[in-house]
Amino acid sequence: MSNEKDIAKSIRRAALKKNWRLFRRSKLGMIGLYIVIFFFFLSILQPILFVTGVWNKGVYDPVVGYSEQFQEFLVVECPTEYPTEKYKNRSDCPGRTEVNVRTLYYSDAEVGDYIIQNLQPAPPSSEHILGTDSLGRDVFSQIMEGSQVAFVLGLLSATLGVGISTILGTIAAFFGGKIDAYLMRQSDLILMLPTLPLLFIISAFAELQVWHLAVVLGTIGGLGGSVITIKSQALQVKVKPFVDSARITGGSQMNILFSHVLPNVAPLALLFMVFSVTGAIASESVLSFLGLLNIDMSWGLMIYLAQVEGFIFSGMKFWWLILPAGLSVTFLTGGFYLVGRGLDEVFNPRLRDR
Amino acid sequence: MYKYVFRRVYQLIIVFFLFLVSSYVLFDAIPGNAFQNLLLNPDLPPEAYEQVIKLYGLDKPLSERVILYIGNFFQGDFGYSYKHFPRTPIELIAERLPRTLMLFAMVNIIAFYTGFLIGKILAWRRGSKSETWITVTSVFSYTIFYPWWALMMLWFFGYKLNWLPIGKFLYPEKWYDAPYDSDVIFVSMIKFTLVVSVVQILVYIYTRNIESLSLRRNVRFISLSILAILSILYWNSGDLAIQKPYAMDIAYHMILPIFTVTVVAFAGTALLTRTTMMEVMKDDFILTARAKGLSQKRIRDRHAARNALLPVVTSFIFTIVTIIDGSVLTETIFSWPGMGQLILDAVLEEDIPVAMASFSFIGVFALIAHFIADISYAYLDPRIRIQSQG
Repeated sequence: MSNEKDIAKSIRRAALKKNWRLFRRSKLGMIGLYIVIFFFFLSILQPILFVTGVWNKGVYDPVVGYSEQFQEFLVVECPTEYPTEKYKNRSDCPGRTEVNVRTLYYSDAEVGDYIIQNLQPAPPSSEHILGTDSLGRDVFSQIMEGSQVAFVLGLLSATLGVGISTILGTIAAFFGGKIDAYLMRQSDLILMLPTLPLLFIISAFAELQVWHLAVVLGTIGGLGGSVITIKSQALQVKVKPFVDSARITGGSQMNILFSHVLPNVAPLALLFMVFSVTGAIASESVLSFLGLLNIDMSWGLMIYLAQVEGFIFSGMKFWWLILPAGLSVTFLTGGFYLVGRGLDEVFNPRLRDR
Repeated sequence: MYKYVFRRVYQLIIVFFLFLVSSYVLFDAIPGNAFQNLLLNPDLPPEAYEQVIKLYGLDKPLSERVILYIGNFFQGDFGYSYKHFPRTPIELIAERLPRTLMLFAMVNIIAFYTGFLIGKILAWRRGSKSETWITVTSVFSYTIFYPWWALMMLWFFGYKLNWLPIGKFLYPEKWYDAPYDSDVIFVSMIKFTLVVSVVQILVYIYTRNIESLSLRRNVRFISLSILAILSILYWNSGDLAIQKPYAMDIAYHMILPIFTVTVVAFAGTALLTRTTMMEVMKDDFILTARAKGLSQKRIRDRHAARNALLPVVTSFIFTIVTIIDGSVLTETIFSWPGMGQLILDAVLEEDIPVAMASFSFIGVFALIAHFIADISYAYLDPRIRIQSQG
């Protein structure tokens, strides 16, 4: 008995090794894996830094931290007409180390003086790798917090959604008849509701926290369009000769369903899983971007803050408020997508290299 | 077949009924109502608020309102908008819908065509360095955080370079003494685009079977230039010569949204085409085609790409369904006054008649599209028998 178990174990280990070798061969998958690992590292690095005391919680906390940054400013008077020799247009004055004399209500400094002022948002320095936002909070710490939110939300909702849709889609294709009709009409109903307005409505009457949102997104995604697509894939599998031969050799319904149809639907389910991780992270960011969620800090919220505080049209002058959050969303979702592509090439024999 | 279609239609009606009930209940679940801001006005007595609520029938219990609404709905009475009072939801939708459809139909057609082309080439060049980099780029343009990307585009083209307008549908100052309503001009633009694209598709279909590549290319090029000359003549004739500058203004405002959304949308099609194409290329008939000694290009375009088209077309149909849904963000960011903004405002302000009418419009749209997708599955893939679908 134990011998059999050992053999099964070694077979599994060999299969895993082989799959890993196949996965490593796909360049895209490896690029994606590196990106995902990088963000995962970021998300676990922050608690470690807090616990070991490298980062002071009062200064580096992503939500309530505050860091004082003082800098010397040159007092200048902005001209009324542009362009002048020094400034090309209105947005160039005052420059980064200058302050307009007309906005100095509390000080009697004159043009040409140097005054020391609190500088928020502060540009990147050795202390704050990505600078601070307008409230003096460390942007790098916020990025780390945002990646924790993204991982929890993305993985939770994708697992839930893909689990639901794979099981329902396969059942619909396999049993057909009334069950199929019911499941298809149910997903029609979900698909008829426009997603974004639906999420607005839900966020209006429920205070959505991260995991609430994950459940909502997972359920909507799992009952919706992916059931139909997985069903169509399962239908194609169902009419393949090996299913017929399994039936002829006396395989039970459940056996055929779980050991023949489901594994052949798995690649598509995997693809959907990646789609839903990307989709869930993007939905969270969109909802935070519109200010509709009850989340302390996330990438979408960072962009939302940059937008409502008017930094987004200041161009690259405050790049550390705009670029890191937007690029993080893009890269993490892209990374998951690439990993999914790589896995697809492993599990889908039709995609393997000749 | 007829029995199947009949049963599907019967099911559709039940689903639609459930959809109406559930969306009404959802709207009702939002706290507050559309007239609550009347309470904030100190000049109005509280009785006035209660009178308004009574006038609109919002004091009745939920079940009664749902039954009343659905009864009226099937008699073709959608009520009046709460926020734009004398106008009905149908009027509002008729005004907004063409704008959204025009914008996103163009985006989707461009994105589908370029995406299919790029995906085809990517799958064919599998394993090369250029393939890896183009795929990585299209993955990131597919997963780019859309609102952020749109804002960046607005900042770059609208503000920094100042080439294109920042949002909006038109420049109001150009339209002070316009002899036409903007909708009239927009409708003639839609007609023009529709005719041009139909002619273009016809030309494409008829030239598809020309064997020689250079001849085919030349015929397509000549027909394209004839079309361009004809359209220039068309826009300079009679009535349309007056409309032209205004139409140009609207078209100028459409460039940036179309470009921004296309960059995101084409990548999805390209990646899907790449995968399905790679699956098809493993099939035996590709080997047969190679053995027959057909040219590489012919195998790629006729044998592989044609068979990879099925899932791509399905996803295209589903994309069409999500046009209005997906337009919410784009239209909010680009202040494009279309359906997306209408729905968003109606939901946030709890303008229930408008929200219900636009939701049910989307619902009907989605139902019909799924119906067509189901039927065309059975039609395009003979292995999937209708009987098996139940």
